[in-house]
Amino acid sequence: MKQVTPYDVIIVGSGAGGGMSAYVLAKRGLKVLMLEAGRDYKPESETPMFNTNDQAPLRGASTPDKPFGFYDATVDGGWTVPGEPYTNAPGNEEFLWWRPRMLGGRTNHWGRISLRFGEYDFKPYSRDGLGVDWPISYDELAPWYDKTEQLIGVTGKAHGLENTPDSPAGILHEPPTPRLHEIMLQRGFENMGIPVAAMRAAILQKPMNGRQACFYATNCGRGCSIKAMFQTTTVLLPPAVATGNLEIITDAMVYTVDMGRNNKAEGVTYIDRKTGEHKSVTAKVVVLAASAAESARILLNSKNSQFPDGLANSSGTVGKYLMDTVGAGSGGHIPMLEGMGPRNDDGMTNAHIYVPWWGYQQQAKKKLDFPRGYHIEVGGGQRMPSMGIAGIANNSKVLFGKGLREEMRAQYGTSVHFAGRGEMIPNDDCYAELDPSVKDKFGIPVLRFHWKWSEYEIKQAAHMRKTFHQLIDNLGGSVTWGKGTDGKEAIMRGGEIIHEVGCARMGNDPQTSVVNKWGQTWDVDNLFILDGAVLPSNPDKNPTLTIMSLAMRNATYLADQIMKRNL
Amino acid sequence: MSVYQSKIDRRTALKWISVAMASATISTQARAKTYIKTPNGYGTDPNLVNPSAPWERIMSKKQLQLTATLTDIILPAEQPHPAASTVGVPDFINEWVSSPYDQTKKDKSIIMKGLVWVETEAKHRFGQPFELCTSGQQIAIMQTMATVSNNPEHKFFLCFKRLTLGGYYTTPAGFKDIGYIGNVPLKTYPGPSVEQVNKLEKSMKGLGI
Repeated sequence: MKQVTPYDVIIVGSGAGGGMSAYVLAKRGLKVLMLEAGRDYKPESETPMFNTNDQAPLRGASTPDKPFGFYDATVDGGWTVPGEPYTNAPGNEEFLWWRPRMLGGRTNHWGRISLRFGEYDFKPYSRDGLGVDWPISYDELAPWYDKTEQLIGVTGKAHGLENTPDSPAGILHEPPTPRLHEIMLQRGFENMGIPVAAMRAAILQKPMNGRQACFYATNCGRGCSIKAMFQTTTVLLPPAVATGNLEIITDAMVYTVDMGRNNKAEGVTYIDRKTGEHKSVTAKVVVLAASAAESARILLNSKNSQFPDGLANSSGTVGKYLMDTVGAGSGGHIPMLEGMGPRNDDGMTNAHIYVPWWGYQQQAKKKLDFPRGYHIEVGGGQRMPSMGIAGIANNSKVLFGKGLREEMRAQYGTSVHFAGRGEMIPNDDCYAELDPSVKDKFGIPVLRFHWKWSEYEIKQAAHMRKTFHQLIDNLGGSVTWGKGTDGKEAIMRGGEIIHEVGCARMGNDPQTSVVNKWGQTWDVDNLFILDGAVLPSNPDKNPTLTIMSLAMRNATYLADQIMKRNL
Repeated sequence: MSVYQSKIDRRTALKWISVAMASATISTQARAKTYIKTPNGYGTDPNLVNPSAPWERIMSKKQLQLTATLTDIILPAEQPHPAASTVGVPDFINEWVSSPYDQTKKDKSIIMKGLVWVETEAKHRFGQPFELCTSGQQIAIMQTMATVSNNPEHKFFLCFKRLTLGGYYTTPAGFKDIGYIGNVPLKTYPGPSVEQVNKLEKSMKGLGI
């Protein structure tokens, strides 16, 4: 194929990192080509906004075809993608890898929780001697957090809590008032000496840039046709395309970065999913934002005689220091919520409150047996019934027939649940490499994952469960699931929280990192990585906001370098 | 005994059959080892706005009728709320047990065997088909299944009840009954009523929190 447009930048991937990069670069006037492995996707017309579960097959229940339920926005993906396997190394713990194949990637169904990393989070090694420090500080990223929050729209309030940065006045949207069970949970936590904060979620509470404010109905995980919740497909890509500087090719599965003369990346080669054709495109700069593990896979598959271990891998750390979030949960039945009667608990889908990590002082005094923190996400209320609704009949004295309806009414909305989301410390046992024999349907070598939780995470998971049980007990309730307090049993599998980051970490030392503090690979100066792969640590705070803020900052640097003709 | 009228029209039913026949002719090609495609499933990129459950249904007319009678013993009509069968719950249970997905296979075996057990029990205990038993006799059989434990009948009861309640309360009629008042666009989010908050405050005070 003869390329007509001379591109300044090729971006691989259209999710949080790729979407933000495209937005910044196109707005700066650079000619950008975005390649997305999945199909085109239009939230405005494809989102099932008010559809009820009885309109869906199997009442919307999860199946291998739609693992998060029928209405989940994910296209052609989930824990497995047809024809595109990954493997787990024998003798390891299992690692799960959630991938979609659609424009906008996982931003179309993400959890929307947008927490800034705090000042401690950028210097973890300096604080406790574990992991590594970031090459940047909180202060360096703070202005980019401001800009990102302003652009995407985030709820929240200032609370002045340790290592839980507030945003400057005027940025955050006022979150909706707490639901009934949230008022109760907040009191319960505060009674245990645990402060509760307003939710920070990327959901508009006032109209902005042609996007409507949330109307407090329909689940955000389906996508949002009114554009109240952030998706790159509604917020970043349309204005970038409108500049005339961004071209998007979907169904383009990139598998290698092509090298040209003088140690420069020349472009990439992709497979057209529809035709099976291999096509090469060129540009001044290549940006990988295919997701942490997929970007690493492309680098490893780009090996050639000059780079026998993969591109940008002179440190040998491509694929290494893969991290996820520590997860454990429990549920409870709270009798004081019985018979409260109907209230509209839809709200903004997310909980309206959350619990930031509160144990920094205890850890400083060595009173806890694990080094890093976790935050708590809460759930409950009278949400739109799904198949799980039958579970509340377990609390009914009437087994069937007359009287059962009344019991169902009384028990509706009496369940609460908790999810601990904690920091994992990078370790040598968690990494991705190319599988020596397995290839996907395109013939591209696939990733083989190695995974092992350490005692740090296992002990933290046990602490989560104990905290939840204590609160449920204090509220006069009983634990209904997630009863065990053995951390090994409580901890979710690697990758299951879908916060996988690392694999091409940033640092100040080319010997131990893949990219510098601008996301620029040490080995190839016109090759950038602008997704979660560059995170050197994975604080308990959900990574997407930081991925976007870093991408905004680093794409701005990249644009500056092109303007100065340094690239 | 009321005759159950399936809420599925004939044209839809014919479509399931043609889909099933068409997919039977597709050769099974080698799949990636981490993904097993479900034949006759709705696929990984279904139309979410206009959904369909494209698989053929396995229940006979008789089984569907028995299913309807049983769902209505679990959730009989109580004014103003309709019985489970009135809002198509038997069709849903048929859809569920007919589904090609692994998740529902266990339920299929429990339900189909359970339906046979119910008929056998009715004949054995009352000398006639379940459908012809008096309401009191039908309830007695349901009571047996509900209270004995650790046997296949009880498993059937639990599974059947789960599907009946799930099937019912996911419908607009079920929303009305249980008190789900969401899924409507609002200008501002109201939160709970003052009365509800006051009641909660009283309970929390009682617990010393």
